[in-house]
Amino acid sequence: MSVGKTSREKVLELLNGKRNGELLCFSGMGNVTTEGMKQTGIRFAESHTDASKMAALAATTHKLFGFECAVIPFDVAIEAEIVGCPINFYTRSHPLEILYPTVKEKVIRSAGDIKLPSDLSRAGRVPLVTEALNLLSDDLKGAVAIGTYIMGPFTIAGQTMELSDLLKISLKKPEEVAEVLAVYTELVIQLAETYSAAGADYITIREMGACSDVLRPALFKQLVEPQLRRIFDQAPHPLVLHICGKSNGIMDSMNRVGAGALSVDQKNDLRETRKTIGPKPILLGNFDPFNILVKGTPSDVKRAVQECVNGGVDAVWPGCDIWPTVPTENMNALMQAVKNARKGRN
Amino acid sequence: MTNDAKKDELLKKLADGVLKFEEEEVATAANEVLALGFDAYEAIMNGLAKGMEEAGRLYEEEEYFVPELLLCADALYAGLNILRPHVKIEDRQKSRGVVVIGTVQGDVHDIGKNLVKMMFEVAGFEVHDLGKDVPLEKFVEEQLKTNAELVCLSAMMTTSMLGMERIIKMIREKNPEVKIMIGGAPITQEVVKKFGADGTANSASNALREALKMVASLRKMG
Ligand code: B12
Repeated sequence: MSVGKTSREKVLELLNGKRNGELLCFSGMGNVTTEGMKQTGIRFAESHTDASKMAALAATTHKLFGFECAVIPFDVAIEAEIVGCPINFYTRSHPLEILYPTVKEKVIRSAGDIKLPSDLSRAGRVPLVTEALNLLSDDLKGAVAIGTYIMGPFTIAGQTMELSDLLKISLKKPEEVAEVLAVYTELVIQLAETYSAAGADYITIREMGACSDVLRPALFKQLVEPQLRRIFDQAPHPLVLHICGKSNGIMDSMNRVGAGALSVDQKNDLRETRKTIGPKPILLGNFDPFNILVKGTPSDVKRAVQECVNGGVDAVWPGCDIWPTVPTENMNALMQAVKNARKGRN
Repeated sequence: MTNDAKKDELLKKLADGVLKFEEEEVATAANEVLALGFDAYEAIMNGLAKGMEEAGRLYEEEEYFVPELLLCADALYAGLNILRPHVKIEDRQKSRGVVVIGTVQGDVHDIGKNLVKMMFEVAGFEVHDLGKDVPLEKFVEEQLKTNAELVCLSAMMTTSMLGMERIIKMIREKNPEVKIMIGGAPITQEVVKKFGADGTANSASNALREALKMVASLRKMG
């Protein structure tokens, strides 16, 4: 029984492979809401470059709705910035506009161009994220799990090199891509160590750039799987592997890397996945964070929660970042649906 | 070998070369087309474009993925660059139309947009690609500059999708005749209606099909 355990302990037990029967609702990716922005008076555009704003905003989804985690950062450009790509933060955008930072210029052409910083803890926005992790620890006092995420090596390559060049050389000269990926794998491992030391309870590796909407599953297996294996072997656990986009064709590869939990989005057929990976691995995701959570009605949300549970997920976990404009009634419906499903399960 | 058989052989070489992304074979065949005095326009439409259409079909069947399509496109361009300057003036006027395309401000998802762009180029449109994260006004300026009949907007996210509505309004103010197509994951028929666009498509080849219809209706009007 899980009586007396904190929400954080329950989340970490699950990510360490121990099912405790209780249905949890949390995420490894962005989950801040415009409601949280309203309550704290923090503009989204300011939160990417200010540790205290980032931390304060990250805690709001737990505080307002009971979502069982706080996750930072909110954008996917941290790694590209570390290796020298200029970033657009859209700080002068309209206050109500939700714009995510983007890479302005892709500065890497080959493995030889990549210079990993000698002191990672001081590179780019790493100090900011680690400071925000500290602030979150102080704020949440061990009651709620603190998550962070890092892009996978192929996705970092896509963020730092011309994407069409990367995709073409993946077919023509895979050995050159393997060299690039090896360097980024090293970066991911070091970054995971840094975040873990700063208080991250769990880390999600997001490798959406290598999903099967883009890359042939055989290439995933050949190029990406070996790097992910190294990451999951060497970086501090618990570690989740997340891929949004089509993923059924690469499920066996994903299952081999040694992740504590596998996460997918709504394009995944959960039943097929269970056939591929069997009952043991912890499976998360499949809940559509945009078409259902943002655009659907509360009853759509309830139905989708039940479908995910019936499909065999081990926690209700949005399949990607929650888009911030999610209506308050849908967030409430989500938490209520999880409570109801929990009763149904016990 | 008869002239016709030789021509058919070259057309097949162009199509296969694109499909198997063999840039050099395509370039050799394209040069041979010119050396033997065959028609450049026919070689583009019945050789290169055929190969690219077949590649698009394999993509939809998940035989090909994005990297394969990009390499096919390189082979296609290798042939186009050689053949295009030799297309006869009267054929050039047969151009299917002028298109402005881009991914809307705040959004860097451009894989889908690039596939749509490729299909338009293959079909003989003159394409002006503004890239990704494109400021809203830029679409209006480029449409005016190129006198494009069609503007294609791509967005994968909510914010950029909302930007589309503003672009459509701005373009309509200056030039109510222009056809506007929008696409990307969040775009539905409802969005098309609400924003006052002319259409959408969920794949690159459907996008082309829709576009051809729109341009044809424009020309009937004009
Ligand atoms: C690869 C990817 C990325 C890559 C993009 C690389 C690149 N240069 O394009 C990277 C890693 C950079 C990325 C970043 C982010 N991403 Co992303 N990404 C994806 C992913 C996995 C695949 C998209 C893709 O390329 N598909 C393959 C192409 C071929 O398909 P397509 O784009 O749909 O295009 C086809 C059709 O839509 C149509 N089409 C497309 N454009 C047009 C235009 C016209 C005119 C027409 C007619 C048709 C048409 O034809 C195309 C060809 O078949 C999707 C997941 C998904 N399920 O789609 C998320 C997804 C798009 N991303 C998402 C998010 C949230 C983000 C981030 C905000 C994450 C973050 N925290 O920062 C950032 C965005 C940063 C920014 N400001 O732009 C969300 C968007 C949610 C929403 N509705 O708002 C998605 C849907 C994931 C999800 N499940 O929630 N991402």
